[in-house]
Amino acid sequence: MTYVATVVVLAGALMTAGALWVGQPDDWFAVAVLGALGAAGALVRETYVGNRVRLSFISIILVASAVIVGPVGAGVVGAIAMSVKLDRSPIVVRTFNVAMMSSVGSAGGLVYLLVGGQADLSGTMEVDHILLGVGLPILVADVAQCLVNAILISGVLRVWGGHPVRAQVAKLLSTSGVAYVGYGVIGFLLVVLWIPARVGWFAGLLVLAPLLVARWAFDQYGEELKARERTLKALVTAVETKEPHSAGHSERVAQVSEWLAEALGLGHREIQDVRTAGMLHDIGKVVVPSQILRSKDDLTDDDLVALARHAEAGVRLGIGIEFLRAALDGVAHHHERFDGLGYPSGLAGEAIPLTARIVAVADCFEALTTARPYRPAKSVAEALVVVQERAGSQFDPDVVEALDKVLARHAWTPTEGPEEGFPGRLAMDHDEPEVSDRIAARADLRALIAGTPVPSDSRPRVPS
Amino acid sequence: MIQFIRSHPISAAVTLAGATAFGWALVVTAPQVPSLPGSELLTLLAFLAVVAVGETARVTILTGRDTTPISTAAAFGLILSDLDGGTGHPLSAATVVLAITVGMVGGSLLRGLRGAGAGIAGTSARVIGVTLAALLYRQVDFGGHTLLAWQAAWSDRRWLVAITMLAVGGVAVLFDLTLEGGVRAERDGAPLRRSIVDEYRAAAGLSTALVISGALIALAGTAIGIAALPLFLFPLILTYFAVQRFASIRTTYRETIGALSSLTDVAGYTLAGHGERVSTLSVAMGRDLGLSSRALTDLEYAALLHDLGQVALRAPIPSGATVMAAPADQQRIAHDGAEIVRSTGVLDTVAEVLEAQTAPYRQVREFGQDLPMSSRIIKVANAYDDIAGPDGSHDDRAMERIHLGLGYEYDPRVVDSLTRILVRRRRVAGR
Repeated sequence: MTYVATVVVLAGALMTAGALWVGQPDDWFAVAVLGALGAAGALVRETYVGNRVRLSFISIILVASAVIVGPVGAGVVGAIAMSVKLDRSPIVVRTFNVAMMSSVGSAGGLVYLLVGGQADLSGTMEVDHILLGVGLPILVADVAQCLVNAILISGVLRVWGGHPVRAQVAKLLSTSGVAYVGYGVIGFLLVVLWIPARVGWFAGLLVLAPLLVARWAFDQYGEELKARERTLKALVTAVETKEPHSAGHSERVAQVSEWLAEALGLGHREIQDVRTAGMLHDIGKVVVPSQILRSKDDLTDDDLVALARHAEAGVRLGIGIEFLRAALDGVAHHHERFDGLGYPSGLAGEAIPLTARIVAVADCFEALTTARPYRPAKSVAEALVVVQERAGSQFDPDVVEALDKVLARHAWTPTEGPEEGFPGRLAMDHDEPEVSDRIAARADLRALIAGTPVPSDSRPRVPS
Repeated sequence: MIQFIRSHPISAAVTLAGATAFGWALVVTAPQVPSLPGSELLTLLAFLAVVAVGETARVTILTGRDTTPISTAAAFGLILSDLDGGTGHPLSAATVVLAITVGMVGGSLLRGLRGAGAGIAGTSARVIGVTLAALLYRQVDFGGHTLLAWQAAWSDRRWLVAITMLAVGGVAVLFDLTLEGGVRAERDGAPLRRSIVDEYRAAAGLSTALVISGALIALAGTAIGIAALPLFLFPLILTYFAVQRFASIRTTYRETIGALSSLTDVAGYTLAGHGERVSTLSVAMGRDLGLSSRALTDLEYAALLHDLGQVALRAPIPSGATVMAAPADQQRIAHDGAEIVRSTGVLDTVAEVLEAQTAPYRQVREFGQDLPMSSRIIKVANAYDDIAGPDGSHDDRAMERIHLGLGYEYDPRVVDSLTRILVRRRRVAGR
């Protein structure tokens, strides 16, 4: 409450300062048009696309208003823009929004004049004068608006949510700072068109129209991205229909893999790749005959070799898809062991791609915490012990350590069997540690798996 | 050459018209070039350079055509600009067209000319578009003055100038798109009207943005001169990147569908490439029958995925040829596939097409059931590919079998379309 009152006072003070310095705007019609454009911008709000890309129309309008109608006018534009926003938020929130945008507008106008920006642009001017005497001050005003915006929002988050102000400001600046430079440039274009080029209010529509198209394209992009993710999931679902008892396995492995990648401090892109690898790691099972996947009896050596082909077959499926390239390493090698006794390539230690080392741990952990006809699901603690015992032999110790951290941070629920019970007996799952040990103990089996003929173009690259 | 003109009259006419426009601009302008003031020559060269560089920034729109928004916007900027270098004699339409055309051709060369025929016809269509705009704005008389001269007269009504510029740009773009649609219809064997409407629809957003950017460059040019060119292209460049991202994700989405489609190949349920072949054939038929580009995308996806349901089978059926399977099995496969596709939550129309792909055509006739056209197309394409084989060597047997089921299994209109496609394919192969 007090905070909101402070912001209201700030807005009033900034506007008074502007009025005392340069007086009222001459052109109230321009204020009305800019206010209407700002209101329209506030209604469409910002679109977020993936990470770090966004478009905020109101910021463009505010930076342009700071010059076109001066500090008082810009304050009024900010207030109009936020007050028509039709939502049901409490009156305090709306008051804060109005006062904040008004302050941002006035502050921009004052800073523009402070750094020597030209107030009256109606006379004829030289080109370099427009660029240096108007363009540069606009960019400074733009930076000021970005800061005022970030500080006021951080303040409100501090009061209502208890977030520390400094961390919030840093976060807001890192997410929207670059975009603000763009707003400054476009705001400048609007100013040039409005006054020196004498197009007037019509300039607002002209400058914003290409941006609306950009926004539309970003929205489409978001839709397609979603569709692509969903389709990838369908690919996994399709394979899981061959093996109904492991439905959901891939999705859960993807989740644990993502957490592990975060805990290991990987970048945004790598985390996505690891997640995708976790999602697709068993996709190659589509080549394994259903009789083996649904076998009731213990697997023979031949069955095991046939089953092991799924790692490389998964790569063959994804080879044509550009954005999966990085994830495919993880699919190909998710059954390698840290001691070099895994399959298909028998890589050891760091030679195994990190993605694969992560998926290997996630895969085994998920399998252990899932119920089977031959044993109940292990608890999180029990499963963690099993995985930890295998650090250095089957798994990368660093990744195992990360798993410990992940489980302290995220809740994990073991997966019980289907409610109507299992169809009956089932052979031991290929993700059980015992199966990994069985193959590790048999050099002949590994040679068979590695020698399984696959077309040369789809053989995964083996780091030397 | 003669052969090409005979089989592609529209492309040939458009190319000829484009070349004529270029020739006209060259002949009219060449004698004037030496007398151009230096400052104007520099401005012209700057626009020419941006048009050329913009030519390399291409983005593929929904109809599969490459567009060059930045180059075209710079071209409109030049056409609509009031450049007289203080001489009182504005540049003529021909001079402006010459600069733009040289820029376009230079840019295309920069990029390495690839693909004859349609590529040249496409560039020609754009040359015709800009020539039209230049003539309208700088040459044709409207009430005793050119629009360019009116621009000076309306100095206190600049919004009217802006609207005039948008109108000229709009007319030119519509004309260009109409020609491009015609060229595409001819190349793909699609109905003319459908292609043109698709072209308008696919290019609407980007074209609006580029026409406006062209007008902005010209409007701001009166105040800040040539600096307007880079500055006012900035919003369009943002738009370009947004559209570019949209286009690239569409490609990877298609790849993902392709992977889903190859699932049954890799698993050994179907013959390699069956899905792709059925898809190519289906899209050709869909285009021939005048489906919209949105419906064509759905058709393409559905055709790629039509055998997906086989993944759930315990054992493969021989050669994956569903046409040989019992009707109940065919239906189950179709249903399982549709279920998997429906699980994405974003491909519901594709799932509907898959669900209905085995239904015989007589259900439309006898029970008035509404079978999606795409389903009927896939049914025919699948039967053809299953029987004709990967290399189409059993083509006669396939057509014989399909004709036996005409009107009962298969929609006669779709079968006619198949016949047309096959005739066209043979003609192309025989050439």
